[in-house]
Amino acid sequence: MNDPENSGAGTGRAGAPAARGRWMGLFQAWTWRMAWRDSRTQRKRLLLFSSSIVLGIAALVAIHSLKARFEAGIRTQANALLGSDLQVSSRDPFPVDAVAWMQTHAKRVRRETSFSSMLSFPKADAARLVQVRGVEPDYPFYGKLETDPPEAWQRLHSEGGIVLEPALLDQFGVGVGDRVKLGSLELPILGSFKKGGPRSSRFGGFSPQVFVPYSALDQTGLLGANSLVFHLLHSELSGANSGALPAGASPGNTLAREFRKHFPESRWQFETPESRRDSLGNSLEQLEEFLGLLALVALVLGAIGVAAAIHTHVSRRIESIAILRCLGCPASTAFAIYLAQALVLVAGGALIGAALGLGVQQGVASVFARHLPVALPPAPAWPVIAQTTFAGFTICMGFALLPLLRIRGVPPSVVLRASVEPQRPLWTRPAEIVCALLLMALLWGLTVLHGTPPRRAALLMAGLMLVFALLFGTAAGAAALARRLPRPSWPYVLRQGFSNLFRPQNQTLLFLLSLGLGNCLLLTVLLVRGSLLESLKPRDLRASPNIYLVDVQEDQRAGVKALLAGLGLPLLENAPIVTMRIASVKGVPLRELEQQAEARAKAAREKGGEPKGTPRWVLQREYRSSYRAELTGSEELAAGALFSSLPWKPGAEPVPVSLEAKIARDLELGVGDELGLDVQGVPLRAKVVNLRKVDWSRFNLNFFMVFPPGVLEAAPGFTVITTRIPKEASSGALQRALVREFPNVSAIDLTLILETVTEILEQISRVVEVLAGVTVLAGAPILLGCLLNGHAQRLRESVLLRTLGASRRQVRSVFLVEYACLGAVSGLAGAALAVVVHAALAHFVLKAAPWPEARVIAAGVLLPPLLSLAGGAWLSRGVCTPSPLEILRENA
Amino acid sequence: MNPSSLEHSTAAREESAPHKATTSPILEIEGLCKTYGTGFRTLKILHNVDLKLHAGDTCAVVGPSGSGKSTLLGLCAGLDRATSGSVRLLGRPLEDLDEDQRAALRNEGVGFVFQSFQLLPTLTALENVLVPLELSGISGARAQACAILERVGLGGRFHHYPLQLSGGEQQRVALARAFIRRPRILFADEPTGNLDADTSAPIVEMLFEMNRAHGTALVLVTHDPALAARACRIVRMRAGSIERETTHERP
Repeated sequence: MNDPENSGAGTGRAGAPAARGRWMGLFQAWTWRMAWRDSRTQRKRLLLFSSSIVLGIAALVAIHSLKARFEAGIRTQANALLGSDLQVSSRDPFPVDAVAWMQTHAKRVRRETSFSSMLSFPKADAARLVQVRGVEPDYPFYGKLETDPPEAWQRLHSEGGIVLEPALLDQFGVGVGDRVKLGSLELPILGSFKKGGPRSSRFGGFSPQVFVPYSALDQTGLLGANSLVFHLLHSELSGANSGALPAGASPGNTLAREFRKHFPESRWQFETPESRRDSLGNSLEQLEEFLGLLALVALVLGAIGVAAAIHTHVSRRIESIAILRCLGCPASTAFAIYLAQALVLVAGGALIGAALGLGVQQGVASVFARHLPVALPPAPAWPVIAQTTFAGFTICMGFALLPLLRIRGVPPSVVLRASVEPQRPLWTRPAEIVCALLLMALLWGLTVLHGTPPRRAALLMAGLMLVFALLFGTAAGAAALARRLPRPSWPYVLRQGFSNLFRPQNQTLLFLLSLGLGNCLLLTVLLVRGSLLESLKPRDLRASPNIYLVDVQEDQRAGVKALLAGLGLPLLENAPIVTMRIASVKGVPLRELEQQAEARAKAAREKGGEPKGTPRWVLQREYRSSYRAELTGSEELAAGALFSSLPWKPGAEPVPVSLEAKIARDLELGVGDELGLDVQGVPLRAKVVNLRKVDWSRFNLNFFMVFPPGVLEAAPGFTVITTRIPKEASSGALQRALVREFPNVSAIDLTLILETVTEILEQISRVVEVLAGVTVLAGAPILLGCLLNGHAQRLRESVLLRTLGASRRQVRSVFLVEYACLGAVSGLAGAALAVVVHAALAHFVLKAAPWPEARVIAAGVLLPPLLSLAGGAWLSRGVCTPSPLEILRENA
Repeated sequence: MNPSSLEHSTAAREESAPHKATTSPILEIEGLCKTYGTGFRTLKILHNVDLKLHAGDTCAVVGPSGSGKSTLLGLCAGLDRATSGSVRLLGRPLEDLDEDQRAALRNEGVGFVFQSFQLLPTLTALENVLVPLELSGISGARAQACAILERVGLGGRFHHYPLQLSGGEQQRVALARAFIRRPRILFADEPTGNLDADTSAPIVEMLFEMNRAHGTALVLVTHDPALAARACRIVRMRAGSIERETTHERP
């Protein structure tokens, strides 16, 4: 035999691969070569396993890039949406000195008066409630308002007329040059606006907007009797286009503070591009919460999938690792070989997943875009896609590391005798504990990075760890039960199947940690989705009013009632309304309360959390209150006593007031507390005598504050009358009659609003369904991984059984019993945990009912054992195909 | 023991390992014990075993199943850690070395042949033989691996996977792999245990030829009295202890 020329190999490890640290092996070409060689018989299987990463990362990328595009849309369009750097609004006309102050501090100031009113189209003999915006020239300062024809906006101020939303032209079959009637003023249609332009965030957001010159408003005759009027001051600040500045630091906010200081008694509302951005973002908060959860679940499912896959792969490679160790391979190099495989698997899966996610988000965006309040930027959010893909890759690699770390502990003596020593308990494996904790920290970081408050993210992680711990416990319990349960009288296949749950190399823990956890996460998603869709679903409103007649004056009430009667429409409700504001709460003046609220908001902003206590808007808003003796059908007494049972006499102060329960909670008021009110300049002391629970979803006339008769009758107010038109009938006749006889009365047609709302909700539901579907798919490879994991071991056992004379049927039955048990335990444990997790999420995050959908739970309990059983059947089919000799030879 | 063979092999080793003293044993074990904890019970596998081997020695470990032969072999090769006692392999105390240092020592001067061949199933015959060299960072040794495969009679089987080879062929690949780094000691755990007599004969011949040619110390665990008889020393084990040790001249 020739002497090998290997004198170059010294006695040390100088030339050996990867001897200088755990991770250095990755930088050796040999490691990658071995990784490639080792994968030879496993590539198809590994590719299959990578599908869990693909789907997990696809969902993650789709969700976060959609969110990022939405936010980018808001960010870039916030100024244009507002049209100015600062918008001050008031329910009363601004005093001359306030306008003058603003004019000296801003580069330009323009006035606007906005209100809801009926607009009639004589040509079509029809009318429609619109939001009228009377604006001065040069507004908006930001954002290009494109009109058709292009000169329409210029002509609005030079010639006078009206510019409408194009939908109105289509709806009523009118065009440029046709005339419309607004109150007592006839105006020519100058054109329609195509895109851009500022949008109002106020009431009337569902009704189409029309623009008229500010100077023409007086001639409409609608301002005096209209309760829905807003006066606005739009200011442009020099060099103040500050979309990039943090909230609170912009010139708009600074000027707003100064303005407030100069006019401390004012009740004006301020809006800056930053606050508009926030409010737009908040409007879809619940959906974002769900999508965030969905993304997290998808990622964890993908990660579990890859962890299960790597676990299976490593289990099959234990002997090869031991041989390598025996031949002198350092533990770090052996580890690096499989780490390299995992890196390629996860990186490949992540890239394909990112591409798929990109496709999904493009699809969703194109369907959903037209229903969003902002235009999405055309390009996908590449940095977010890259960042999310990388984050997903890191998390999946972290999960893959857990089984990979086992490799370092594979003793070379396995070549002599398999399973020389039992696997050490988890607490004696610090590397795995550190890795698991790091993973949780990473997941926490990712969740926080994507907008979840740190505390809530920490709670989510704690919940996830608790779920893991409970599943560990369940696995131990199931194994112990399987050890005790079988009786000698049971048929052999049954005993054997049960025994497989606790014997060496059992799969109980693996099934629970993958299938059980996967089931738990998927059910949570489906349950939360159900809760969300339920809250998005419009109620059955067959008995509810669908037309509101607003601003019916005292002297018009009888006429309007007669008009309804003449048209054969019922008068459902008739509520007097008086507007008022809060002056003090429990003796603390409003100013002080506002300062406290502002300080809390600031502190919360700095900490990145949500402010506690009474929100500022609750203190500052105008309350439209009513008076009546009894509760309505959509109200329920939550605390205190009804007016009728009180000894109060009209004229005495404090007057009793009934508060809606949620607003009372916001104001931190209870029965017996005092409230100071400002009823259009007249102070009024009130004492809370009861709290009401109100079902707002029924569209009845409901109020935050209700007084007993005998308090507000003398105050200036108006009446709202509700009626219901049959579904098939059009409200056209009523609207035309109203415009003719009572032009100041606005008919708010809820059927139109409901249609819009339903359409938006349907779109949101569809998005939820699509994304939840992708997430559910991400869970599928987990089951496959579980089934394949035990395949080799069961193959050997079945061969022995067959050699000893077991029939195919017996072998199959053993399999089926084992897999049915594993599936049943995973299904039950997953479903039970999902119910708890969903209840916690519903209560603390989504503010929804904690009760799970029975359908989903039933599916969660029944499907895992059925799928597992089917998988077992499929595996057992394969087991009986090759001859025992073939398998014995393969495993020799 | 054949003195001339010993002299020859020692001289051969001195060329590549000048730091080793010619008289120092290549394997020296003292008071070796091994116990396993299985649940609530402790299983004593080896008890107070002493053994010393020099370069070029051939030693057969025999005894009934469960007497601790394979465990002894594993401990000698540093595949496992002893519960107590010491193992000095190639002049280095194994108890002072960590896992990776022991792996390095194995790669440097230890060869293995197993009853179940223990080839890497995803590697071809040639790649399996190359692994020990690649592990020590030696590249371009393909010709050397091919040559050694030719020597064991597998010239046409370079690119076959273990599953495509017969038992005898697999064991010859294992032999080629064991000798590619010209080890100073070779441990063989029932090397012919899975083979018939006709297939076994050439394997055994190769083992002893390598011992003669390169002075490789040979430790054989076997149930085969004929194979054991070819070794200079026969260590008979029973219940974890050495029952008897016989030494005779090489036949």
